[in-house]
Amino acid sequence: MKNNKTDNLLSFIDTPRKVTNKRASAQRNKDFDEIYISAAPEELAQQASRCLDCGNPYCEWKCPLHNYIPDWLKLTQNLKLNDAAELMHQTNPLPEICGRVCPQDRLCEQACTLNTGFGAITIGAIEKNISDHAIAQGWKPGLSKVQYNGKSVAIVGAGPAGIGCAELLTRSGIKAVVYDKYPEIGGLLTFGIPGFKLDKEIVRKRREILETMGIEFRLNVEIGKDLDIAQLHQQYDAVFLATGSYQSMDGGLPGRDVEGVLYALDYLIGNVNEQQQFQLDDYKYHDLKNKRVIVLGGGDTAMDCVRSAVRQQAKSVVCMYRRDKDSMPGSRQEVINASEEGVKFIFQKQPLSIEQVDGKVSAIKVVDMKPETDSGQGIGKFKADMNSEQLVEADVIIIAFGFQPSPPNWLKDFNIQLQADGRVITGVVAGNAQDFLEHPDNRQSHQQQVASVNQANLEQNSYPQQTSSSGFFAGGDMVRGADLVVNAIADGRQAARDIINSLKSCKSE
Amino acid sequence: MGLYHSSQAKDSCGFGLIAQLDGKPAQRLIKTAITALIRMTHRGSVAIDGKTGDGCGISIQLSKPYFRELAKHLGFSLGHRFAIGQIFLNPDPIKAARCRQILEDELTKETISVSGWRKVPIDKDVCGKDALKTLPNIEQVFVTAPPGWQRYDLERRLFMARRRAAERVTDDDYYYVASLSSLMIVYKGLVIPKNLSTFYPELAHPKMKSAICLFHQRFSTNTLPLWKYAQPFRFLAHNGEINTISANRSWSVARKSKFFTPLLPDLPSLQQLVNQSGSDSSSLDNMLEVLLAGGMDIFRALRLLIPPAWANRSAMDPDLRAFYEFNSMHMEPWDGPAGIVMTNGEKIACNIDRNGLRPARYVITKDRVLTVASEIGVWDYKEENVIEKGRIGPGEMLAADVSSGKIWRSGKIDDMLKIRHPYLAWLRENTIRLRSNVDLEKKGAQYYIEENIEKLPIFSHLFGVSVEEKEQVIKVIANDAQEGTFSMGDDTPFAVLSQKSRSLYDYFRQQFAQVTNPPIDSLREKSVMSLETCFGREHNIFQETNGLSYRVIISAPVLNYAKLQQLKSLDQTYYQFQSLSINYSIDANLNTALTAVCDRAVELVKNGCVILQLTDRDINESTMPIHASLATGAVHQRLIKEGLRCDVNLIVETATVRDPHHFAVLIGVGATAIYPYLALQIINQLSLEGQLVDELITARKNYLKGINKGLLKILSKMGISTIGSYRGACLFEIVGLDHAVSELCFPAMPCRIGGATFKDLHNDVLVSVANAWGSDLPIERSGILKFVYGGEYHCYNPDVVTQLQLAVTTGLYSDYQKFADTVNQRPISTLRDLMRLKLADNSSKSEKIELDEIESKESLYKRFDSAGMSIGALSPEAHEALAVAMNRLGGRSNSGEGGEDPSRFNTEKNSRIKQVASGRFGVNAKYLVNADVLQIKIAQGAKPGEGGQLPGNKVTLEIAKLRNSVPGVTLISPPPHHDIYSIEDIAQLIFDLKQVNPSALISVKLVSGPGVGTIAAGVAKAHADLITVSGYDGGTAASPLTSVKYAGTPWEIGLSEVHQALIENGLRDRVCLQVDGGLKTGLDVIKGAILGADSFGFGTGPMVALGCKYLRICHLNNCATGIATQNKNLRENHYHGLPEKVMNYFSFVAEETQQWLQQLGIKSLNELIGRTDLLQLSQGTSDKQNHLQLQVILDAAKRPSNGACHYMGLRNPCFDKGVLNQQILKAFKNRLNVVEVFELEATIHNYDRSVGAALAGFLASEDVLDTTDNSVILKLNFLGIAGQSFGAWNYPGMQLRLEGDANDYVGKGMSGGRISIFSPENISYVPSRSTIIGNTCLYGASGGELYVAGQAGERFAVRNSGATAVVEGIGDHGCEYMTGGIVLILGPVGENFGAGMTGGIALVLDLDEHFSNQCNMEHIQVCSMVEVMSNRVLAASLNISRTTIVQLLEAQILHTSSRWSKKVLQNLDNYIDYFMLVIPKETLSRQTQALPVRLVNEK
Repeated sequence: MKNNKTDNLLSFIDTPRKVTNKRASAQRNKDFDEIYISAAPEELAQQASRCLDCGNPYCEWKCPLHNYIPDWLKLTQNLKLNDAAELMHQTNPLPEICGRVCPQDRLCEQACTLNTGFGAITIGAIEKNISDHAIAQGWKPGLSKVQYNGKSVAIVGAGPAGIGCAELLTRSGIKAVVYDKYPEIGGLLTFGIPGFKLDKEIVRKRREILETMGIEFRLNVEIGKDLDIAQLHQQYDAVFLATGSYQSMDGGLPGRDVEGVLYALDYLIGNVNEQQQFQLDDYKYHDLKNKRVIVLGGGDTAMDCVRSAVRQQAKSVVCMYRRDKDSMPGSRQEVINASEEGVKFIFQKQPLSIEQVDGKVSAIKVVDMKPETDSGQGIGKFKADMNSEQLVEADVIIIAFGFQPSPPNWLKDFNIQLQADGRVITGVVAGNAQDFLEHPDNRQSHQQQVASVNQANLEQNSYPQQTSSSGFFAGGDMVRGADLVVNAIADGRQAARDIINSLKSCKSE
Repeated sequence: MGLYHSSQAKDSCGFGLIAQLDGKPAQRLIKTAITALIRMTHRGSVAIDGKTGDGCGISIQLSKPYFRELAKHLGFSLGHRFAIGQIFLNPDPIKAARCRQILEDELTKETISVSGWRKVPIDKDVCGKDALKTLPNIEQVFVTAPPGWQRYDLERRLFMARRRAAERVTDDDYYYVASLSSLMIVYKGLVIPKNLSTFYPELAHPKMKSAICLFHQRFSTNTLPLWKYAQPFRFLAHNGEINTISANRSWSVARKSKFFTPLLPDLPSLQQLVNQSGSDSSSLDNMLEVLLAGGMDIFRALRLLIPPAWANRSAMDPDLRAFYEFNSMHMEPWDGPAGIVMTNGEKIACNIDRNGLRPARYVITKDRVLTVASEIGVWDYKEENVIEKGRIGPGEMLAADVSSGKIWRSGKIDDMLKIRHPYLAWLRENTIRLRSNVDLEKKGAQYYIEENIEKLPIFSHLFGVSVEEKEQVIKVIANDAQEGTFSMGDDTPFAVLSQKSRSLYDYFRQQFAQVTNPPIDSLREKSVMSLETCFGREHNIFQETNGLSYRVIISAPVLNYAKLQQLKSLDQTYYQFQSLSINYSIDANLNTALTAVCDRAVELVKNGCVILQLTDRDINESTMPIHASLATGAVHQRLIKEGLRCDVNLIVETATVRDPHHFAVLIGVGATAIYPYLALQIINQLSLEGQLVDELITARKNYLKGINKGLLKILSKMGISTIGSYRGACLFEIVGLDHAVSELCFPAMPCRIGGATFKDLHNDVLVSVANAWGSDLPIERSGILKFVYGGEYHCYNPDVVTQLQLAVTTGLYSDYQKFADTVNQRPISTLRDLMRLKLADNSSKSEKIELDEIESKESLYKRFDSAGMSIGALSPEAHEALAVAMNRLGGRSNSGEGGEDPSRFNTEKNSRIKQVASGRFGVNAKYLVNADVLQIKIAQGAKPGEGGQLPGNKVTLEIAKLRNSVPGVTLISPPPHHDIYSIEDIAQLIFDLKQVNPSALISVKLVSGPGVGTIAAGVAKAHADLITVSGYDGGTAASPLTSVKYAGTPWEIGLSEVHQALIENGLRDRVCLQVDGGLKTGLDVIKGAILGADSFGFGTGPMVALGCKYLRICHLNNCATGIATQNKNLRENHYHGLPEKVMNYFSFVAEETQQWLQQLGIKSLNELIGRTDLLQLSQGTSDKQNHLQLQVILDAAKRPSNGACHYMGLRNPCFDKGVLNQQILKAFKNRLNVVEVFELEATIHNYDRSVGAALAGFLASEDVLDTTDNSVILKLNFLGIAGQSFGAWNYPGMQLRLEGDANDYVGKGMSGGRISIFSPENISYVPSRSTIIGNTCLYGASGGELYVAGQAGERFAVRNSGATAVVEGIGDHGCEYMTGGIVLILGPVGENFGAGMTGGIALVLDLDEHFSNQCNMEHIQVCSMVEVMSNRVLAASLNISRTTIVQLLEAQILHTSSRWSKKVLQNLDNYIDYFMLVIPKETLSRQTQALPVRLVNEK
């Protein structure tokens, strides 16, 4: 449907995929500044021109926010940066952040039609740079036509889910007041993610924009401690809960109590706290200079840890992962960045215990993991070879096995139900319809069954983010467990829609 | 009641007239006429019993001596002036008596005395079974005029009496007055021509004499025609179809109050002027008789009803143009393929439609007998007695008066008409032509921007303009002046099924021409099209006065600001302007609101309003709009009912119109003109945003231009050429509106399955109202064109595509099951989704069928075809992979329309189905014989009624080779098959194909639309073996956007309609019925079978299996999956399709089908066909869905209690055995091994059709003889008159010589050899000035030579891609779409020469120095031969020189002994200056040097 006659229809072949430049590793290893260099709009436009504008936009479909990617690529191509930024904000309140922290190679860029031998469009880089440019040029959301409708909503947690919710509510004329126990917005964006991935200045700038829109942040307020949840419930038309999940998983590893064993999040937050002088008392700064560091785990958090350690001038930094490289769950690009920066990867090792000398970490005991033969699709299956015990020496072990929810106590006051693992339950669970259907004996009532499930979904599941307690909505990591930033934003926005609709239907009743 | 109604039958036929110009009545003439009818038996249809036909008849002068004597004999007292009525009466004597009485009453009222009734002697034995069932009691009534009446007094009063009687007899289907006149009598019946005179023995009575005989042989699309529909009618016989019939009928009602003539003062007392149902020809006859009875003469009447194209013919004589323009103001043309012969007993006339879509050839012999007929050679006159022969060309008329012996040729008639009144002066004086005014337009635009731009979001929400529509529709048109191109078809739900709020226009499906009439190419044949629109009160057509010219004219019905302002400020005494809001209170109800608008409109018109503007612009928070289509339709209908419609013009000022379809709907339901204010305001905004290429006013102009272009396309799709005949014609089918809605607003529109009620529509708008005023939501991204998350559902959404691709890659049924579940459980998107299977009760295990009892996969594969996709659209790799997969499975792949590499024949890469499409690319004998099925692609689901274009950049060396063209040359597929303009033409093409490849099944691909059942029955009667019904959701590689979105209907409706029609006509067992369109899973197969399908076509499914990702960029040649591209890099490096993936897919589908069969408790698909009891209509998920009435579909598809209900594997052989072809073939086979030169002599007649084709097919299929190297020569010499398709698909080595004439389609598809046609020696006419071959010769030829020592008809060398031809004159549209070959024309050339000609060369001897005016300069340049030769570089690069002409002339002389050619050659030095060279622009642009050639008349 391209009608612009000047288009080069084979641009996707003629112009190779080009990711934006990085600072040289020798240079970037010394500081916590972002590693990607801003790209000129013309360069981005050229990359954007590679887009085929597919009839089925797989990128948009794969994106949890369903960003209008092909459309803003086209605007980028025509160097209409403000229009592109405006369009990005229609589906995403934090494009400059998603552009930095999203694992595009698992989402939009992976789904890109061109990711089949041509090289995907550099969607992430374009998203980041275009929004940066627009913001630098003073882009602001145009809200002149929004009429405040007298409703207000309390949001607990100023992380991506909370922001996602607050922004959409504000655009819809609903007052959003966001509470957070930390001194800055962003949640893990601010406190968890190291500065070389996301410059904290970006978050501050974003806070300004959000506040200009009329979002009110009440920081350093911890619900349940500084303020009673019941008060919020009473004072606001609805409450959205998005307190995240901060509880680190320890994997039950023997020897984990020894000095020199750190948990990923504690380490990362301590680091940010030190650099930004947030004065968070709970998080201690750990200087790993000249230490031999092993990080256990293979996700994005593990990468944040190894790369932070490198920057602290650790003597050696090793990432140790149970499966092989292809099975790593995080962004490929981060693994590449880490390698460039001097991180060593040890694959297929299962830690058994942490060894100590004088109450301090000395080594980690591991066994080899052997691939199982019938590995099919997805993550490969591996089996520990118990005859292969070995020791790997280290001064510091950082455990990056992920986090689990840390549901606040007051949830039960309002009878907000939780999953067994502590996650908040929202929406209606559609049951195991799929399993039922796949059983051939059940094919007979196949259609009927699905029809009724669909019907049920339509009627009862119309507010996917509503908790079991009416008036309370929840989303983000506290519902999902540790998950992507972009999913948290998506939850927040869905919650906003749910709230808007529920307030509407209240009105009409 | 089902979907199919036999009343929709369409017909076409052979027709003609014979007249003794000196008026001497003779019995011999009647006999000759009957012979002529017999000679055209093949143009009608003959049932298997050899007796039943669709009707034929003759109309002759009333033989007064015969009837006087008869009256005497019967004891009737006949007065001086008497008339005879030929009356069909009910076989029931009581009912018959009643009708007799009524007619007598009415005659008596007129003081005409009835002398008596006589039973007409007939011989029933010659009637077939079906004909006997409906045989009426045929009687003649003898009546006498009171003394003193003149001849025409009697005729007029007979007319009124007859009409009044007919209005009184409403309940007797038999009663019919074939004729009632003192001048003419009609004998007609449901018999075949050879039995006509046996059936009516008195026709052979020696005293039965006439100097005029009109004759007609009918081909109806249904097997149970009625006696009264046989032709001729009372005045005329018509071959063709009036496409505009619904508009003509409804305007005849609207205009009745305007008809006044002192000759028939009581005319207004008639209820209606023309019949509102039944045969289109009979309605035309009705109108003609009103005009004639009212005192109009034959010439003006015929020219008024069927005018030639004049609006875009700047070269036309201004006085003549004025005559047509003047007359066009008060009657819209009756348009469509039409050959008309008519007589009033004294004058005779033959008239051909503006585009020459029906053939008419005439011969005048020395005994002053004039014969006009569809074919030449319909009786055996002696060639030496011929003094003149010719054809009646497009828009031409031939007339004669047997009382004076005078003949009028077309020009003479025009000359006579144009000087009757000072038309030109009248028009100049009184007619105002509105033109656009840039300053005014600028002012208007500026004003809107300033006053209203901030309201745009409100209007966008309220009227549903999405971002997508703004970007992809409005912006594109504003930039490019034409709508965007789209590919991959429409995979969204119909509006009524959608969960989204959709435009009401989405409920309207454009009707389109298929088989019974041709679509027009509105681009290449622009000269016949017109959008001209008139304002002002209509006046009485019978009085030609200057008052009638008080009119305001605009060139197109889409208004801009300037034109609207001008219309508003006209003199209010004549053009009173009123505006009427169509917005209503949110609390009111839609139905009442509509009635109120209608009431108000009537009031305004009664008070003198002449320009009534309906507007939805004054919207506010408490009101909501009535959709413009509803308001326009309802007001139009009401005004007609009140007799006021022709006093007023309806302007619609609405926000709802954005794309061409929207405009077409409003005009189709009655709007005069439209002002699209919101679309223009959006363009203003786009301009402010800097999104437009041009400045604002140009962009606005572009937009209107694009809309007009789109309108022309929509008109031409239905074969209609003027907007006047489209206005109010309701040429849409409504899918998904409640009957109450359509009853009130568009009663003439088919609306078969109910749907959204007034209440539902009201509720839909309420949602938009809430969005518009309540919030600041961003403008919706509707996702109607392309998938957007949260937008409209798409059946091939990313989930579906990725799941299918995973399944065919892993080969796991469990993966396929996930795909099938996603599809089978999708939100309701198609009609079949509302039909649930009733599965067998599993509890009764005893009856459970084991899997091995169920129809095997192998057997199912035979029912699976891949849909036609051309190589060109697909890469060769993908095309071959599909063929390999289907061949390995035992299914069939379809070549598509682009030819096929012969090296694939006889290998597993061969496509078993070969398509014959309108472009005829690569369709030669060799191609045709290497097929098991030959599919005539009438229409494509994604764009029925349209042609296509393969842009030059996609024409690679390979493609060019396959399509017999040159790389880089644009290839155009015309909208129609130029050899199928009507149903008897497709019978001819099927006959041609069966002659060339007797073993192939002939398939015809139709698109679901109203009346498709009728067409399918006709196609089956034309001896097709296989019929494919495509749904609207078929794919395409490139189509205009609105074509994909708005044409065609769901196959569920079309399939069951066709199934029902075939059963009712007793044809079901011999026709294999295939469904195609959006089929994805086994469940689709099951439901398709239940609704009537034997076989299944899959297009997109197997493509996705090959790797297609539904990118919708097929038209750009950059398909990233290497499937829909010719780009080498993409094909070599990025194409990963394997036949195995396609095989996996079909294996899965077959397996799923088996599983469903098992659960249904049915063993085979044959047992399932028509088992609608196994489907249950299910509850929908919206009110609209629940208001659909789908039972009608199930009822139509239902298994009949007896008779065949599915395909039984029978063949459907042609009635004509092709005797001469068989003789030739036999003779050749007998001598096969003996000689290298085979020679044969034979006489030939017009009924010997497709002569040579059988031999060509034999040569192409057998390896016995290699004729391609010219070493073997087969000489076939004929004497006489060849039937249609002489030398079709002529094969190298075959040399056909014909001494005599030939009919249409000479050398169709010729790939080699030679055809020469010339007149005998001893003749008295000048051959070079006579038409000796018919229309559409060399259609799709790719090689060989044709020499004709005489002139050819219309469309000579259309789509020629390689043949060399010499001819001495041609008709209109010569060398249309030509891409190769050389054509030398040594005489006059008709209009529109070289339209769409992108290759080859034409040389024209232009003695009148008029040629360049006749050319369509879009693709060609014309230069003088001398100048080209003086430019050596150019001449060399074109390989053209004086020698070229000399050689061609020498060949012409050698093969035809043409005297004219000899003369030209001998005097070449004198003639050379007059030779013009026609070169396609593309050819010139490929030349490297810039060439300083002066080009003639470059427009």
